[in-house]
Amino acid sequence: MAFALEFFLRRISQGVLIVLAVAFVIFALLRIAPGDPIRIILGPMATPSAMEETAERFGLRDPIPVQFLRYLGDIAKGDFGNSFIRGKQGGTTGGSQDAAGSPPVERAAVIELIAKALPYTLLLAACGFLLACLVSIPLGIMAGVRNNGWPQKVALYLSSLLVSLPNVWVGIVLIYLLSARTGWLPAIGYRHIGYVIIPAIVVAIELAPVMIRSISVAVATNVQDPFYEIGQVRGLSARAMLFRHVLRNAAVPLLNSFGAQMIGMLLGGLFVVEYIFSFPGIGLLTINAVFQRDFPVIQTVAIFASTVLVFINIAVDFASTTIDRRLKF
Amino acid sequence: MAIISSIPQSSAPARSQSVNARILRLAWRSPEMKVASALFLALCLLTLFGPFIIDASATKISVADKFLPPIFMDGGRLPYFLGTDQLGRDLLLRSLVGLRNAFLIGVVSVILMFALGCAIGIFSGYRGGWTDVVLMRITDIQMSIPVIILAITILGMSRPNPFTIVAVLVLSGWPIYARVARSVTLAERQKEYVRAARIIGASDLRIMIRHIAPSILPPIAFVAVLDVARMMIFEAIFGFIGIGIQPPTPTFGTIISGGTQYLLNAWWITIVPGCLLALSLGSLNLIGGVLERSRNLVLQGAA
Amino acid sequence: MGTEPLLTVENLSICLGTGDGARALLSNITFAVKPKSVLGIIGESGSGKTLLSRALVNWVRAPLQVTAGKVIYQGLDLLALPETQMARLRGREIAYIGANPTTALDPTVPVGHQIEEKLRTIEPGLSGQEARKRVIAMLDAVRIPSARSRFDEYPFQFSGGMMQRAMIVDALISNPKLLVADNITQPLDVTVAAQILRLLRDLQRDFGTSIVFVSSSFGTIVDIADEVVVLDKGKIVEAQDTGRIQKSPDHPYTRELLAKVPRLWHGVSGVPQVHVEPVVLSVRDVAKTYEVKDRASLFKKNRVQAVRGVSFEVRRGESLGLIGESGCGKSTLSRLLSSLEPPDRGAIEVNGVDVATLHGDALLSMRRRFQLLLQDPYNSIPSHVSIGTTIAEPLRIHRLASGNGLRERVCAVMQEVGLSPDLYDALPVGLSAGQRQRVNIARAMVLEPSVLILDETLSALDQVEQAKLLDLFDNLQRKHGITYLYISHDLAMVRRACARIAVMYLGKIVEIGDNETIFDEPAHPYTRTLLSSVSTVEAKPFLPKDYLLEGEPPDPIHIPEGCSFRSRCPFVIETCRSVEPPLSTRAGTSAAACHLGLERLPMPSVMTPGRPGSDLKQMDSL
Repeated sequence: MAFALEFFLRRISQGVLIVLAVAFVIFALLRIAPGDPIRIILGPMATPSAMEETAERFGLRDPIPVQFLRYLGDIAKGDFGNSFIRGKQGGTTGGSQDAAGSPPVERAAVIELIAKALPYTLLLAACGFLLACLVSIPLGIMAGVRNNGWPQKVALYLSSLLVSLPNVWVGIVLIYLLSARTGWLPAIGYRHIGYVIIPAIVVAIELAPVMIRSISVAVATNVQDPFYEIGQVRGLSARAMLFRHVLRNAAVPLLNSFGAQMIGMLLGGLFVVEYIFSFPGIGLLTINAVFQRDFPVIQTVAIFASTVLVFINIAVDFASTTIDRRLKF
Repeated sequence: MAIISSIPQSSAPARSQSVNARILRLAWRSPEMKVASALFLALCLLTLFGPFIIDASATKISVADKFLPPIFMDGGRLPYFLGTDQLGRDLLLRSLVGLRNAFLIGVVSVILMFALGCAIGIFSGYRGGWTDVVLMRITDIQMSIPVIILAITILGMSRPNPFTIVAVLVLSGWPIYARVARSVTLAERQKEYVRAARIIGASDLRIMIRHIAPSILPPIAFVAVLDVARMMIFEAIFGFIGIGIQPPTPTFGTIISGGTQYLLNAWWITIVPGCLLALSLGSLNLIGGVLERSRNLVLQGAA
Repeated sequence: MGTEPLLTVENLSICLGTGDGARALLSNITFAVKPKSVLGIIGESGSGKTLLSRALVNWVRAPLQVTAGKVIYQGLDLLALPETQMARLRGREIAYIGANPTTALDPTVPVGHQIEEKLRTIEPGLSGQEARKRVIAMLDAVRIPSARSRFDEYPFQFSGGMMQRAMIVDALISNPKLLVADNITQPLDVTVAAQILRLLRDLQRDFGTSIVFVSSSFGTIVDIADEVVVLDKGKIVEAQDTGRIQKSPDHPYTRELLAKVPRLWHGVSGVPQVHVEPVVLSVRDVAKTYEVKDRASLFKKNRVQAVRGVSFEVRRGESLGLIGESGCGKSTLSRLLSSLEPPDRGAIEVNGVDVATLHGDALLSMRRRFQLLLQDPYNSIPSHVSIGTTIAEPLRIHRLASGNGLRERVCAVMQEVGLSPDLYDALPVGLSAGQRQRVNIARAMVLEPSVLILDETLSALDQVEQAKLLDLFDNLQRKHGITYLYISHDLAMVRRACARIAVMYLGKIVEIGDNETIFDEPAHPYTRTLLSSVSTVEAKPFLPKDYLLEGEPPDPIHIPEGCSFRSRCPFVIETCRSVEPPLSTRAGTSAAACHLGLERLPMPSVMTPGRPGSDLKQMDSL
């Protein structure tokens, strides 16, 4: 109990600091980078004085630390700001406005934009992840248990093949084969659940090789541990040793690579896949926001993403230390 | 198997370093390795020498020749082996130039992130204490920014060129190397050879460079081969989103995205160059995979 | 006793690999195990004894291959049995315990739970509670303290000895008819090994289990076995009654084995004598405490008192032995001595200079005079550079030589330690453990040190290599007047090599004295326990029945008040509970930290070294 409490106290406080640091890095990067959001908001015809006035109103002329602190203050009040570009009714409003511009209140709250996009992203992530698990868990375990044999070969070839397929290209190929050419499945945008199938396959293709490899390596390492064979000499069946002990031990490195690598990959994969398929999730929202210099959206997504990463890693580490009591944190 | 190691004659084993030589030898014995290396070498030679002779033609627009299919299809004709794109540019040449750019970016960024990450990791792990805490918190921060968000923020906001692309990749890639190098160093620091080196008076720097680095870097380098392929994929993604190397220089990303509009009528514009990319990535990944498998076999004493 | 053997092995042969490249590891092994008896198999490392013990439970995996023979258990040939039937015998009727208990169980599941899992696999009808009760009762029976809470502890929380007890529980919980014990005392400290041995003997008597006891120590085998089989290079060279094999070994190899068993009291001549030269190394009241995280409470750290005030002096050209069992603080002390870590308090002085005050060049030149040799011959030299480069590295670091001069000096020192200079450009790959250790010695000697610490330097080597290197150390000492500090757990080695000996227990020196005093008339009960537990084939002045310890040393986090040895001491008196005995001088340079005088300890068994026949008479009375 004391252990768990100290673990969470320490890790969550560290986590908050990390997220703050990430927020500041992204916040500063956005403001240092060239490309004036005001130009995009007001369009090419805006007069310099109107631009200056809008910038003042958005607080974009203050020193970066001042802007950052004000931003944090707003977040503390639960206000993640409003999009520079997107109107409340959806759709982009930038560029076409008169010099006066519309007041920020009429623009969509970032938090609402994210709330609207998040379910799509979660759906895609869940489907892609499940699909990857379906292939890689059985194959990875089989390849790990015996280090020479057909599952090992299949695992090596399949993961070498899948990891060599760039997701942008696989996406297009699948659109061509399964949708454009044959009309079997819908592909672009989202109208119903069918639209998630091809994007999920692409996500799974990206995840599967990494999972197959980590699972087979983790299982193989533990099958070589003396306790596996000695357990059989002690009178337990190979099956019991595999499912009750080897997999339990293999879970530790797996959780680790999940936290350090796979979650990041999944996130990256989602962004790209959503962009390819115009799938209305967080990724598409963010990539469009970058092109439109929509700072509040980018910032908030970055904060959300790093919070997710940090907290998944805390959970993963807690699970690891619970499984293997030798681990410290 | 433990029992093997307790058998006398074979148990005065050639331990450690010759391990790397044995891994390479074992890997080379597998047919996959030979095929993959040959393929990889051929692609390297093609990309190195092909575009040098015909560099200019990779961007040469020839409207009369647009949408020509590859020569194995009806209507394809020489010299356009892989056909032409919507502007009549030679797809083979564009792919080769794209492959060269992707490969250079991949190799350079992996070398840099490997060097930076391992240096920081060894230093952090060996020094321990506050140095370690600070450096590892920095990797935490860096690793908590998803690559893609960092990339689209930096590249999307600036004018992307090969240097900023490499910079973004290195920036997002070094923490993993630092973490791995650190954790191995932590284990290595406890070993007797480090203590032995300290006892004969070796300085910390000397121990890190002369003793720890040579024994921990080879296995990390094997994995780095796989990362070259991963970085090439990132390069393609950046190009696809429009934040990679800018036109008219051909890259896989721009070739693929450029062809999507003509997918139904001229599918080869996107699909055929992608095959070339996948082929080269496949050969790299197979090399990496065989190296990893051989390493496991050698370490298990099964070979 | 029954006459039908429980297990017979007939013409068993096992090869490594197949076809022409196959190498025979065991050939034509034939023996029988009687019911309710202990069969000892003795062999040196490489004799194939581990392989043989695994073949008895049909645990032979590729590339090893049984080429001929049978292992017949109650009429069934185990080697030909289908896997399903074999599975019914394994762990139920035939149990196996291996040499390394720390890796035998899943590290992530509590020890008790794993034994319970096995019990319930064997007796599927058993309820969880019932199984748990039986396991706890059995843990209690092998004298694991507070068995109930230990049930839920993890393998890493068990010491080697406790873990081996748990493995014995695991093996015997199914009440097997046959137990194969492969070298089970080998990784344990002598006092713990002695306890395990006694425990196994008691259990064997109570349960009527037959045991095949495999060991490389003659002393251990004769202690437990009824009959002995001698294994040499995969062949049985002799099979005899235990009594007979000691008195009249038939085979020359058996005689050789017996002769190799180190003697501590009989036939020991010319032990090193104390010197009167000036003091070279002086250690004064050195202490070191580490902090470790306490999982059970918030932000609390435990203080591990590894070394708790150690003082001693070593004179020029002298050898001091520092002995103790695992956890006594000798490795920490070695780290402090090599000045890789500073002590919390106290001082380490070399030639009168406190090492802790040195920095930069002064530290470097101190290091040059003060070298340490480590235990592991494989991990202590880099394998990717040539031998010559390794030996030359200290010269480069200290800028003592370069170019041709460097090569000459390295070759000279290689010759001195018995390495051919031809090896200068060779990689250490393929060197034997002994040769590697010589590379280590050369690397230290090239600096011409005046003090050499040998931290378990010879532990990884076999008897023959050990003897050779001890001779080498003697020569170097005579030639260069080097001072040695042997840190070791090997009593026989310090008996032969050291003029003075210090005994450590729980971070302190409990007794220090010259070689003869320590071995013939020690004043601390712990010293006597160590001497009584050592496995040898000669009569001991200190009998295990008088000194056998219970339990294990307290952990260095919770050190008891008073005498730190009182929790295990068989002669504890009231004063011991409250007052910590100081290290008080007895005679000459000898001192012991004990409240009891010599008169309150049992008299050493009468024996006069050199009287013929006294060995065996004593043996019989054991």
